Amino acid sequence: MMDQNLYSKKIIPYLDGSLSASERSEFEAYVHTHPEFESQIRTKEDELAIVRSLIPTPLIAREALDALETEIRESIMNLLRDEPRNLRGKIKDAWEEWLSR
Amino acid sequence: MKLMKRIEFFQLVQPLTEKLYSMAFALVPDDLQAEQLVIDSMNAFLLKEKKLVLNKLVDLESKKNAQLLRRTYYKSILRYMCEIGVRRSHQMGETSLVQPAENFRAFFALDPKVRFVMKLRFEGQFTAQEIEEIVQLPKYEVIEKLHNGRFLLLNDLNRGVHL
Repeated sequence: MMDQNLYSKKIIPYLDGSLSASERSEFEAYVHTHPEFESQIRTKEDELAIVRSLIPTPLIAREALDALETEIRESIMNLLRDEPRNLRGKIKDAWEEWLSR
Repeated sequence: MKLMKRIEFFQLVQPLTEKLYSMAFALVPDDLQAEQLVIDSMNAFLLKEKKLVLNKLVDLESKKNAQLLRRTYYKSILRYMCEIGVRRSHQMGETSLVQPAENFRAFFALDPKVRFVMKLRFEGQFTAQEIEEIVQLPKYEVIEKLHNGRFLLLNDLNRGVHL
């Protein structure tokens, strides 16, 4: 009984992913040997599914997504480069930018 | 193994755009503000981690390596998003005229960091340890925020049912 109370308290951390690897395997081993315990886990899983449904998952319009990707690409091309030290470097950068269009 | 080119980096992070937008929306519930937050987070990441990205030897031929690398960059960008977005969310809270949809009002009434942690866990499927790295909080605070968020959302739902 004491074991069950202890493991009941670990259901949410288990589903939350906050148990350490060793605690996780210990928990799974306990569940494996106590199938009746699974109904408690299912109840908590249902509760978490409800919570999940209360969190918005916004959809972005296709045009907005394209525009956002273009902006990200420009940021990467502008910010992610070492300052070219010579003409060869400048040509290499310009060529890479041209290719990415 | 070779150094990554800028275009390769873009191709690596491009599939993250929609996910980043969705995460940003949890902090600033407005289309344009969320898009801006994605761009600002990406810029902050690029400015601060430029050397790390440019000097890293990568093997993008392997799908598994590419996925691992994408997830690493995803977490780093989210770290900047959290830092910028939480501050912006507090500023917006005082001035915003944008009203979130009725069914998500309880979610947007939560503290911005709690919202972000909830989103990371439930949508991003990040573990508590990964969330700890992203939001730069100790594990016990991450767990506390997850617990509070869950409790407040379910409490609000039950109140609505009983009215």
